[in-house]
Amino acid sequence: MLEISQLQASVEEKNILKGLNLTVKPGEVHAIMGPNGAGKSTLGYVLSGREGYEVDSGSVTFNGQDLLDMEPEERAREGLFLAFQYPTEIPGVSNLEFMKAAVDAKRKANGEEELSSADFLKKAKAACAQVNLPLAFLKRGVNEGFSGGEKKRNEIMQMLLLEPKVCILDESDSGLDIDALKVVAEGVNSQRDDSRSFIVVTHYQRLLDYIKPDFVHVLSEGKIVRSGDASLAHELESAGYAWLETYSEDGEA
Amino acid sequence: MNAWFENALNRAVSSVEQASDALSSLKAASLAQLQQTPWPTRKTEAWKYTSLKALENCHFDSSQPAALAESQQFTRLQALDGLNIIIQDGHIQTDISALKVPTGMTINTLSQLGEVPSWVAEHFGQAKPQKHIFGLVNDVLANDVIVIDVVAEANINTPIKILHQASEGKEGQSRVLVRLGEKAKAAIVEVFMADSNSSFTNGFSEYFIAPNAKLEHYRFQLQSQKAMSAGGCHFSLQSKAKLNSTFVGFGSELSRTDIDILHKGEFADAKLNAVYLVDGNEQFDLHSTIEHEVPNCTSLENVRGIAGGKGKATFNGRIHIHRDAQKTLAELNNRNLLLTDTAQINTKPELEIYADDVRCAHGATVAQLDDASLYYLRSRGVSKEHALVMLNYGFINALVDEMSNEALSEWLRPILQQRFAEMGE
Amino acid sequence: MTDQIESALNREYEAGFISEIESETFAPGLDEDVVRRISAMKNEPEWMLEWRLKAFQIWQKMEEPDWAHVDYPKIDYQAISYYSAPKSMADKPKSLDEVDPALLETYEKLGIPLYEQQMLAGVAVDAVFDSVSVVTTFKEKLEEAGVIFCPISEAVHKYPDLVKKYLGKVVPQHDNYFAALNCAVFTDGSFVYIPKGTRCPMELSTYFRINEQNTGQFERTLIVADEGSYVSYLEGCTAPQRDENQLHAAVVELVALDNAEIKYSTVQNWYPGDEEGKGGIYNFVTKRGICHTNAKISWTQVETGSAVTWKYPSCILKGDNSIGEFYSVALTRGKQQADTGTKMVHLGKNTKSTIISKGISAGRSNNSYRGLVQMHSTAQGARNFTQCDSLLIGDQCGAHTFPYVESRNPSAIVEHEATTSKVSDEQMFLCLQRGLDPEKAVSMIVNGFCKEVFKELPMEFAVEAGKLLEISLEGSVG
Repeated sequence: MLEISQLQASVEEKNILKGLNLTVKPGEVHAIMGPNGAGKSTLGYVLSGREGYEVDSGSVTFNGQDLLDMEPEERAREGLFLAFQYPTEIPGVSNLEFMKAAVDAKRKANGEEELSSADFLKKAKAACAQVNLPLAFLKRGVNEGFSGGEKKRNEIMQMLLLEPKVCILDESDSGLDIDALKVVAEGVNSQRDDSRSFIVVTHYQRLLDYIKPDFVHVLSEGKIVRSGDASLAHELESAGYAWLETYSEDGEA
Repeated sequence: MNAWFENALNRAVSSVEQASDALSSLKAASLAQLQQTPWPTRKTEAWKYTSLKALENCHFDSSQPAALAESQQFTRLQALDGLNIIIQDGHIQTDISALKVPTGMTINTLSQLGEVPSWVAEHFGQAKPQKHIFGLVNDVLANDVIVIDVVAEANINTPIKILHQASEGKEGQSRVLVRLGEKAKAAIVEVFMADSNSSFTNGFSEYFIAPNAKLEHYRFQLQSQKAMSAGGCHFSLQSKAKLNSTFVGFGSELSRTDIDILHKGEFADAKLNAVYLVDGNEQFDLHSTIEHEVPNCTSLENVRGIAGGKGKATFNGRIHIHRDAQKTLAELNNRNLLLTDTAQINTKPELEIYADDVRCAHGATVAQLDDASLYYLRSRGVSKEHALVMLNYGFINALVDEMSNEALSEWLRPILQQRFAEMGE
Repeated sequence: MTDQIESALNREYEAGFISEIESETFAPGLDEDVVRRISAMKNEPEWMLEWRLKAFQIWQKMEEPDWAHVDYPKIDYQAISYYSAPKSMADKPKSLDEVDPALLETYEKLGIPLYEQQMLAGVAVDAVFDSVSVVTTFKEKLEEAGVIFCPISEAVHKYPDLVKKYLGKVVPQHDNYFAALNCAVFTDGSFVYIPKGTRCPMELSTYFRINEQNTGQFERTLIVADEGSYVSYLEGCTAPQRDENQLHAAVVELVALDNAEIKYSTVQNWYPGDEEGKGGIYNFVTKRGICHTNAKISWTQVETGSAVTWKYPSCILKGDNSIGEFYSVALTRGKQQADTGTKMVHLGKNTKSTIISKGISAGRSNNSYRGLVQMHSTAQGARNFTQCDSLLIGDQCGAHTFPYVESRNPSAIVEHEATTSKVSDEQMFLCLQRGLDPEKAVSMIVNGFCKEVFKELPMEFAVEAGKLLEISLEGSVG
């Protein structure tokens, strides 16, 4: 489904990703862990096509297509979803209007009819309820004045509405208390099935107690330096990331 | 001297010669002042950023209106709740006497009234400062005056819509005078529309709001491209009077609006939301002045502008706190978006303060749309073009949302969206 | 409470004394001949005279500007004397020992001792008295570093190439009415050149003193910071207390070449006139700098004097990544009028400007900020931030803000904010309740209001500026 091969990318001429390889098959949940500055957020931005994140070499295929050749909105319509670590506030543009435009754009791209306002509202209300956000949030400006937890839940709500194929959750647990964390995790778990895949980017193992990964990868200095199953996350939790230094030295030796 | 102004002066002279009503001395005074007023150039501070060149060599017909040709939007606007007064090319088309005017309110035209009521003679030209050259022109050349009087304590729920249309080759001079009695409530909607051809509309209106009265006011100047416009609306507020006004202006070869709010009685409260949008080779120029002459009044002004294409938008917002106006609360906020390399924004928020115990602030920003917002929308599958329209719209949406007449805001939204879609091109 | 605040601000003008010095002064009047005579007094080369005459012709065709928010009687340019110099200076004293002791005493009284050993170690001073420079200190020490710091009249002779290359290039002769007049009749001022890659070893300072009656002062300052150099320059001004208004029309030009930085600080304390508005200096000044690539010009001004101030120190941000700053405190009281601010003209990419203006109005004064921020279409990624705050003391004064913002580049960001406030009764009460006397309380509150600007001043001047606001408070609260 998603095939990342030897991906090198830079921001402001600084090399961040240095040859990253990752294959995600339908239905799999991959956790990417790593210390601050490892390039975790950059991966999400590069995959979703943010301006300023330059791909220097390597390839990414998504459902057999060249992902890197697509505009950000084409990637989204193709089924790639990034839950932002710091969701952007857009005063004046209502959440509802925004999501309707996004869902319509996707349906149109798939040759489907646009949803009627009433049908969409029904879906939106259900999604809102599922992530435990008051309905009034649909009318408010996108993330405008939302608390950190509300923003994260709003991201998950968008995910529920857009029904993507691959979801990248960028530190969706940061800044959340345990209850909010559970809401986020439940939202994600409700979407897990044989066809939908997740890339869960996180610094801590905590989120992975609630979203059980099939694979755990350690990202360090722009590369995946170690991969394993869920137990690797626990290992990291107890050992921390300090071992990475010796590890990479060994690796190069 | 240019052809248009020369012609206007000639018309003004003969108009004053023929006038014999109670307003004739006022008109003569305005003419005398007009004759002393040099035609503004870019060296005239009030016209620093706006050239009058487009108007200077125009010859328009103002003698009679063209046949009424309505756009779909204009028809829909009439269907909204409220009374309609249609002004085509400066000529009142509606049979005012046939209107079903709510109790507590009278609507007349000066020509119908025959004799000028004394209150009209007393108020005419008193809210509109004499500094506006097109206002002086309008004093003398307005064909007629729509006179609306709301008696004390009348609570009028029916919006009065004064709807202007302009057609190719025509010049329309219109004038409105409104008085709200004590504790009265009313809503007045002024809409100006035109096709894209060359025309000129010069519409001025004056509002006198008595103590404790409340006016809800809208003015949409939606002429664009070659349909030029000048004009203004001017408000005089007595004690505890309340004004809530929303202004929307599109640019054209020449678009200029002057808004004056005069606080004449204590504890009056004015709120003005204004939006201007320019595109192509258009220009738009909004000058607002809020005069705090007495203590304890408040004014809040929110102005947002977007310039695309090769458009030029200008805003001059003056707040003047007089010596006696202690305990004034006045705020002005102006935000602008510049969409292209060729568009320009000029803004000048001014404070002139002569009282110490006041709270005044203004802020102005000019920037472009936020890249992060654009990316966020696109990352959800919204196309760049659509995202730009949404963001532009979002930039002014809060002001449209604040309109209390929802039917009117629903009518306006698609027009704005259409405008944004064109600006994105 | 307001009365206490007001009386706290009434102050004596300490620099108001008159020095009894015999001067050679031109008879009042201005024509081509006067321009020629000024040039002759300075023994100027022909090119300099031609330049003056051209400016004079331009000036004659110009009209005095009237757009500022100030009101003063029409100036009779024929009633002013355009040159005055102490007679003792005619012999061009070679050292301080040859300078008339009365002159030295004048500066001593103003707190500016001209003997190097008595001076603040890090400051070199050019002392200008009416139309001539009396002395420039630490010249030799500066020469060692290759820094030129001398009266401009001397620079015309000694460094004609530099003067020709830069004079009038930032503020051209036709720039405005007062600048054109200055170009025609300027008498003295300072010239500074900092060579490539040099950090000027000491602060440079010019102290301007108007003494003679009915005399205008038209000084001209030119500072050129060559590539990669740095200089901090301070300027101070005072004048005696006289009943007549006197005209001061100066021009300051700054050139910051690639990677250079100029910090220009002014403490302006010209005689402001009395409480009734009688007398005082008309301070009509044109100050402008040009920044080349990566260069920075920072203007800091504390304006407490002058009857009328008309002054807009500006930056032309021509080079990419260049930076312009303007920090201003303007205090007006009595019947003073100030119309001051800045222009930031953004031409280069990623240019940045910051404007912080603090206006304090008291008495029956009027204090206006007038500014222009211009983002040209070439100014990709440029940024401006402007903050204008006004403090009103008493209900007979005025505080005004006239900012012009013009943007033609979508990637440029301009932010302007202005607020106005008063010294609140609550603030005063708190201070008094904590045992401060009213004078100290007002001075603390006003100083706090100005803090952002004061911190930009070089140490020596920060002290002087603080004192200026404080002098006002001495013994004036009953």
